[in-house]
Amino acid sequence: MSDVVMAEIRKDYLYHLVLKGERADGRAFDEYREIVLETGPIRKADGSALVKLGKTQVIVGVKIQPGEPFSDTPNKGVIITNAELVPLASPSFEPGPPNEVGIELARVVDRGVRESGAIDLESLCITPGEKVWIVFIDVHVLDDCGNLMDASSLGAIAALMTATIPAQQYGLGEDYPLPVKDVPVATTAVEFGDAIIFDPDTDEESVADTKLTVITTADGSVCGMQKSGPGFISQDHIYRIVDIACERAKEIREKFLEV
Amino acid sequence: MIGMDEKLSFFKNGVRLDGRRPDELRPIKIEVGVLARADGSCYMEMGDNKVIAAVYGPREVHPRHLQEATRAIVRYRYNMASFSVEERKRPGPDRRSNEVSKVSREALEPVILTSYFPKSVVDVFVEVLQADAGTRTAGINAASVALADAGIPMKSLISSCAAGKVDGEIVLDPMKIEDNLGEADVPIAMTPNGDITLLQMDGRLTPEEFRKALTMAKAGCEQIYEIQRKVLVDRYSSMDEPESCDEVEGLSEEEI
Amino acid sequence: MDRMDRNVVVPGDLLSDDPKKAGEGTYVKDGKVCSLLYGMASSYKDKVRVIPLAGKYVPSPGDTVVGTVQDIVFSNWIVNINSPYEGLLHISELPRKIEMNEMSRYLRIGSSVMIRVKDVDSTMKVELTLNDRRLGILTRGRVAEISPTRVPRLIGKGGSMINMLKKELNCNIFVGQNGRIWVDGNDDDMDLALKTILIIEKEAHTTGLTDRILEFLRVEKEARS
Repeated sequence: MSDVVMAEIRKDYLYHLVLKGERADGRAFDEYREIVLETGPIRKADGSALVKLGKTQVIVGVKIQPGEPFSDTPNKGVIITNAELVPLASPSFEPGPPNEVGIELARVVDRGVRESGAIDLESLCITPGEKVWIVFIDVHVLDDCGNLMDASSLGAIAALMTATIPAQQYGLGEDYPLPVKDVPVATTAVEFGDAIIFDPDTDEESVADTKLTVITTADGSVCGMQKSGPGFISQDHIYRIVDIACERAKEIREKFLEV
Repeated sequence: MIGMDEKLSFFKNGVRLDGRRPDELRPIKIEVGVLARADGSCYMEMGDNKVIAAVYGPREVHPRHLQEATRAIVRYRYNMASFSVEERKRPGPDRRSNEVSKVSREALEPVILTSYFPKSVVDVFVEVLQADAGTRTAGINAASVALADAGIPMKSLISSCAAGKVDGEIVLDPMKIEDNLGEADVPIAMTPNGDITLLQMDGRLTPEEFRKALTMAKAGCEQIYEIQRKVLVDRYSSMDEPESCDEVEGLSEEEI
Repeated sequence: MDRMDRNVVVPGDLLSDDPKKAGEGTYVKDGKVCSLLYGMASSYKDKVRVIPLAGKYVPSPGDTVVGTVQDIVFSNWIVNINSPYEGLLHISELPRKIEMNEMSRYLRIGSSVMIRVKDVDSTMKVELTLNDRRLGILTRGRVAEISPTRVPRLIGKGGSMINMLKKELNCNIFVGQNGRIWVDGNDDDMDLALKTILIIEKEAHTTGLTDRILEFLRVEKEARS
């Protein structure tokens, strides 16, 4: 489906608001929409989470199964992250294999989990060189009202933190919780003229041509970043986004991920 | 897991493993209007099945060569989330989901007034978030409510459920274990008048057993219909008689 | 068995045993009038009709709508009119004559217009016109979008609701039949206008709405001063 061209008077209005220091839904520039997190909605998954970020809804399921390790890392488990932008979630999503937007989303979610060291891959080894646990993280977008990066990343870590390794099912001993060692949180901002706006909704995303996602760990380090979109972004803005991102991520971590 | 060779009784004192009578449906939960972007939507639980349906349209058809000059086309996409089943499913369509999509679309098409919207498309998307036997029937039920929610003109709603045979007995709305180890499965969909719009059958039944299964499934559909209808009506139950207002009127001079 | 008493009806609900009563949003089967829509059933003149609670705008000749230019192709502007069908505005349908090479100077992609449906043919080709002094390009103001099914309620009987809003809100308001509402005034008035329009959309089918809106506006304006 081709996207509908946004009316210029709508764009003008959004810019006009930003000049006044306001947003269409009344939020402050660095304010998130209401977040609702439900863990464990999918009993058949080994871990799952439903995230509502304003009207955006994402469900993440984690499946853990034994499989073969990669030959260059024989004593490490495997993480495979996939994101489905199913056409149910937006008039602009089309059926078919993931396009570059879906793949980028999956890779950024994956980067947060992987680079933060949240999952100790060596602890997922069952028999070196033969059998390891494979952790599948599947992001299923249900309603795209903006900022899928943050919603999906939050869903992924929440699902992992409540996941169980189904050892019994495979005759490998008792089930046990998936050990999670860090809590990466992604925060995304867009540039709107001179202003920086966090947690953009669909309108804000379509007016701004550039966004920056910053993923931070529990100790306040940055473990992943992604500039997305065809625009410029200044060094000064990048520094400001990173600073605010650390604060917002800390709040989200403390409120929803009990760390 | 219970193997086929292990003799398992599906009944204890006349009730099923989950405590249901043979002719009893699993618990049903329906919510309407759950998605902001879609024109109509519905979330449904039937036992352990969790499905969500969205309707977009009528809208422009892309690619254009699919357009039909005198009617809207209906597309239906049934898709299972990879985490919806015991063993992770590879994402994307397969032969089974293609077939389910086709028969589900054909279960709904007979009631949709496609001639009202020539050249357009009504897209129905069903995502299975958790599967436990009967996902296609849950999907059709949710899609039917989502179509109504989107304001699509229809002759009626469609309701759907299955009957099966386990331990030689006909049962309504089989759950996973009954479906896996049972002797037959008969999913149907129908209008409130009893006209059948979906009928599939697999397994082995005598003609008499089939009659019994169909009768039982139809009775199940009647119960589901009442729930579907109630959810839609209750959504606006706080409303009273609408204040009278004119037909959609043209603007008069002084309004401009 | 007659479900009229419940008012909210779903497709297939029986409305009347008298086929002569079949009105808008209904169909007749085996001599019985049934609902085609999820909506509110009511008697209107000597018919039974169903007003839908949702649905897309289908253009019909004479409608005035708010559109956005999506593309310029040959001598036509392609205009999104919030409908399954896009509108075509031919270069000859402007109030003054312009040349093909100056089309995008007059109306760009992204421009909003208050425009009239001139003709709709059987293949749903929708022709638009700007050739009326009351139509034109919208360069100021804001556009709210509501369900086209709520448009009659926003206008009200004989324009009662919309006239009240214009008077109370100090705004110029234009209600497009396609559910797009153009509002022009000062910033605060427009904010309140858009807020009010969304309340009317949400509560379109409740009683005493006009009085409640009046009261809402009184409280809001008091808070502002």
